[in-house]
Amino acid sequence: MKFSELWRLSSTVYKEVSFQSIFSLRAGSSLPGSAKRDIKRLVANAKINTLISKLITTIFIGIFAGIIFLPLTMNITGHTMPRQTIILAGVSAFLAVVLFLIVFMGLQVSTSFVSSKIVDVLTPLPLSKQDVSRIVFLCFIRIFDIPLIAAPAIFLAVYVLIGGPAIGAITSLLGIITAEIFALTLTTILARFFYLKVTRAGGRSKWQTLLRFAFMLVWILPTFAAYFVVNFAPQIVQSFASLTQGFSSFSQILVLIYPFSFGFLASSSAFPGQTDYTLLGLSITASVAYAILAYYCVGWVTQTIRKLGISAMGSGPREMVMDTFIQPQTPWLGIIRKDLRVASRAPSYATLFFLPVIQTAVLAVSFSSFSALDLTTALGILTGMSMITLLLPPTLSSIEGLASAYMRHLPMRKITFISAKTLLSIFTYVLSLIVLSIVAFSMGKSSTLILAYGAVHGFSVAAAVMLELTIVTRKFWKEGFAVGNLYSRLTTYILIVIPGYVLAAIPIISAFLALLFAPSYVLPLFLAAALTEFTLMTLVIMHQK
Amino acid sequence: METVAVKVEELAVNYGSFVAVENLSFNVKEGEIYGLLGPNGAGKTTTIKVLVGILEPRAGKVEVYGTPVSDEVPAKSQVGYVPEEVILLDSLTPREFFEFVTSIRRLKKENVNPKLERFTSAFELKQYFDTPIAALSMGNKQKVAIIAALLHDPKLLILDEPLVGLDARSSKILKELITFHAKKGGAVIFSTHIMEVAEKLCTRVGIINKGKIVEEGTVEDLRKLVRSAEGSLEDIFLKVTEQEAGMQDVIKALEEE
Repeated sequence: MKFSELWRLSSTVYKEVSFQSIFSLRAGSSLPGSAKRDIKRLVANAKINTLISKLITTIFIGIFAGIIFLPLTMNITGHTMPRQTIILAGVSAFLAVVLFLIVFMGLQVSTSFVSSKIVDVLTPLPLSKQDVSRIVFLCFIRIFDIPLIAAPAIFLAVYVLIGGPAIGAITSLLGIITAEIFALTLTTILARFFYLKVTRAGGRSKWQTLLRFAFMLVWILPTFAAYFVVNFAPQIVQSFASLTQGFSSFSQILVLIYPFSFGFLASSSAFPGQTDYTLLGLSITASVAYAILAYYCVGWVTQTIRKLGISAMGSGPREMVMDTFIQPQTPWLGIIRKDLRVASRAPSYATLFFLPVIQTAVLAVSFSSFSALDLTTALGILTGMSMITLLLPPTLSSIEGLASAYMRHLPMRKITFISAKTLLSIFTYVLSLIVLSIVAFSMGKSSTLILAYGAVHGFSVAAAVMLELTIVTRKFWKEGFAVGNLYSRLTTYILIVIPGYVLAAIPIISAFLALLFAPSYVLPLFLAAALTEFTLMTLVIMHQK
Repeated sequence: METVAVKVEELAVNYGSFVAVENLSFNVKEGEIYGLLGPNGAGKTTTIKVLVGILEPRAGKVEVYGTPVSDEVPAKSQVGYVPEEVILLDSLTPREFFEFVTSIRRLKKENVNPKLERFTSAFELKQYFDTPIAALSMGNKQKVAIIAALLHDPKLLILDEPLVGLDARSSKILKELITFHAKKGGAVIFSTHIMEVAEKLCTRVGIINKGKIVEEGTVEDLRKLVRSAEGSLEDIFLKVTEQEAGMQDVIKALEEE
């Protein structure tokens, strides 16, 4: 079959994958009543969501390219480095970042790619196995198309801007293409691994559950590392540069390692006069070997992606079932346990639980720049922490949408639902507070203010969570919590989160005002505001049927 | 006096401007197996979804053992439901799924575990008990939904095409369970396209067409009604849903191909 025809067919399949990523995987194949009336809008929204994901990756690549090359070249950072080293370190770091960011993006989308079972639809059609593999591969490429094209384009633009030599650009381009192929390969390996060990892995033993959480953590941590990459871009390049400076015997090993081999090759081709020929020979050999490996990787990815597309991986290892004993809990505990179990097998939900904790750890890194943790700093950090926690309730509600139609027939009370989700949200808040205190303590700062005000603010955050959940249930209790409802319109999500933010901000604003006009009343006012909010919202949810 | 298990009066359901069910009324008594029959898109699943509280009607009165379905929790507590399209929490294992459902239904482990043991043995589900539902076949997913619907000893069973995907053994067991449930005094609403099953299993049938009950009664009643003493339920069904006329022409046209 002609490539143009395969490309056209892959476009249809890709549309289905984008759609399924929202409505099948997350909404349990059950569209809300309103969605049936406006299916075109929802399909368009699914496309926009996938486009946003691609654009975010592209923006990250762009920012990184800008941050690493421009300041270093213009000596903004104050470090003076030879241009040869700048190109070596810059190209190596850029390749590493392209690889990392594309893999990171792939991790987020590959589960929906797997669950869409697209090959099941293609196989009965009169298409050869090879054509089916190619279509699925092209569809997989479409998931990454914008970043894949943008990475070399951005690199070239920045490279021209800093006046890098042309020959270096060509070598670097080869490196970028290899990096992209390696990224797709790594994504496929991880997706396959994840599918077997997490999504399809059953078992009852605590060891398996623990193992699943460990895999999940490995899956999620890169999500946060992406922010570190952009935030610490200059430091990353500096460390790459310090690794490559000085041609010792260590350099001979380093040039064999990806991505330094391409970085060294780019640098040597740009400045041929200053090259160590032994290192050049080694880097050429290594780069050629990596290029050949990349060529074989394309073949492997094509085959494996097809298998992933038909879910031909089978299940993970099965434990022998000894009994059918179950342990029913109270309804709210049943919901919490179910949510945690779902999250242990779904990265998108697991990320939510880890997000406030890890984001708090990121915030805590800023402690090093403060001489002491005063009240203003503590309140500022608590504001950030509560804002992240308050993103949780609407998405926690959407877990009920995973089997929307089935869940709605169960005799679940609104108060049970709200209590369970509030407890889960507050659990992540408390965990964040503990992490914050530990980091503060480890940096030799007193965590008394954070702990005291954080504990009090917990009541306000709980009230805000209850408010968000009350809005969510009022809006979607009858219709179902399908994500199609929650995320098809960003405004809906925002209108749920903003009232929560306002409620959580009231004690903080009161404390700041007291700090200005009546400093001795800061804590009493803060406490009064938080407790009043909590009492009022508890009364509101007690009256839910 | 026989207790009315389900009372549906002048039910009307819309999807936007599309009228799915209009003016639909029927009753199901205790001890009855009521077959809800009708062509695709007739309104069977919509009616069932109103009964189990998934859909809200535009108009009409729907009660389960005297409790209006709008009184969600008490009404839902009396019902065991197997949906037509079995989409459960796929990432959970059957064990985890049953734990969740029984928690929501506030069941005691002492009561639920012996039943679970019996049902999983009967439906041969034990070996898949710790396998994620996503990895189960359609038939096994159906078995999970059936067991979940039975664990709380519901007074009313609502089964929407429950035999689809089941193997012969499980299908036979389910039919026996349905009959036994009715004999014990429970009520069953059963939707199916398989006329032979409805004919053998149902005490009474209601035939829905275009969102309305067009005929209702025992199979015998319906035979008399359409004056076809030897006719099967399928013939009666085709007659009352006005699908019989012109069908021979359609078959002829297909055969000419």
